[in-house]
Amino acid sequence: MSRVDLNCRPALAAHVRLQIDPVNGDPVLLFPEGVLVLNATAHDIVLHCDGEAKVHEIVTALSEAYEIDEPTLSSDALECLADLLDRNLVILKS
Amino acid sequence: MNFRPYALLAELTYQCPLHCPYCSNPVRYPQGEELTTEEWKRVFAEAARLGVLHLGLSGGEPLARRDLAELVAAAREAGLYSNLITSAVGLDKKRLLDLQQAGLDSIQISFQSNEASLGDVIAGANVHQRKLEAARLVRESGLPLSLNVVLHRRNLDQLEKIIALAESLGAIRLELANVQYYGWGHLNQTQLLPTREQVEAASAVAAAAKERLAGKMELVYVLPDYYETRPKPCMQGWGRRYLTVNPVGNVLPCPNATSIPNLKFENVREQPLASIWNDSASFNQFRGTDWMPLPCRECPQREIDFGGCRCQAALLTGDAFVTDPVCTLGPHRDVVDRILAAVAHDAVPVEEWTARRNP
Repeated sequence: MSRVDLNCRPALAAHVRLQIDPVNGDPVLLFPEGVLVLNATAHDIVLHCDGEAKVHEIVTALSEAYEIDEPTLSSDALECLADLLDRNLVILKS
Repeated sequence: MNFRPYALLAELTYQCPLHCPYCSNPVRYPQGEELTTEEWKRVFAEAARLGVLHLGLSGGEPLARRDLAELVAAAREAGLYSNLITSAVGLDKKRLLDLQQAGLDSIQISFQSNEASLGDVIAGANVHQRKLEAARLVRESGLPLSLNVVLHRRNLDQLEKIIALAESLGAIRLELANVQYYGWGHLNQTQLLPTREQVEAASAVAAAAKERLAGKMELVYVLPDYYETRPKPCMQGWGRRYLTVNPVGNVLPCPNATSIPNLKFENVREQPLASIWNDSASFNQFRGTDWMPLPCRECPQREIDFGGCRCQAALLTGDAFVTDPVCTLGPHRDVVDRILAAVAHDAVPVEEWTARRNP
């Protein structure tokens, strides 16, 4: 069902802005008529969504930083990106 | 924090080149001078400190303000995500570039129909073609484009073509909101309120399109609430998530709130936004659930729909403190049912609507 795999290059959609909520320090995605509060992992994933890095490269980078095994992080990252894709907040570059 | 404003609707001016018969501006405009550039900048900064993340730049027609790009830059500096809500009349290449360079985040263009013949009648001006051209300019600029089409008896049957128009223009979001029957819309209710058959057909079209377009274009469809059985969660609760500042600086819990009798609103020229949000009588009047009448006060829905819309209660019953008359659990549903029975009875409304006038 999901269109995301480990070889995709995700990027934030043009209408989306990543920002820190000044009231509580939460990372948030802002888009027309909407706000999405990100958890710490989602925030780190989104920070790597530059349209260049492939998902598996993002996972490797994060697993080194977090000391979490790659399979767990891979499935978390794919789930997170599929959710953002469903909300039209990320796009996939080929 | 239970009461935090996330979005500010800044109504920059009441001036508008369009005359739509359902305009959300008040029928009786308040007295006073429009806020100056410096006053708006201060409002944006105060709003951001209060927790606001989203700014809707609206009117009237916000492009009528020559200082719009300067205001957009101030919004960006304050960290607000800015959305220009416009008829697009007056949006040329130069203006668009200025706004983009100032840091505008997105543009929402209103359309009245999928075609000029009807759209120009509804707008009361020859604007449809200019809107198409402006929408193409926005697409070329790379700024995200949303479309907003207000739906009613005269255009609801064209919903499929309206959705196709939004797709062909490359919109990322299409807002299809039925007329809200306050102010001008209420004045023209006989001409605008659709029949139940129209509403049912349109709802099916919208649901199918929403599914088909998932992942491509976000489609938001708002029913005319008279045809619902539970009230809308108006503004996500009074003084809970949203605030509006009107052109003369009055601060409102919702854009229609001035229609409620005996409610006095504070002005940004006289008080800081934070004290108006936190402490004013107007923002606290219908906050939370303590103000609620029965059956709302004991209803399991009370934190879901917040008792519905206060403006609608006031408009249809004369009392802003009663359950929204849309609710079939409340004591005033008969008022709405009588309106719907009249619509079903009048095959075609004959009289002309009253076009919106500028102050």
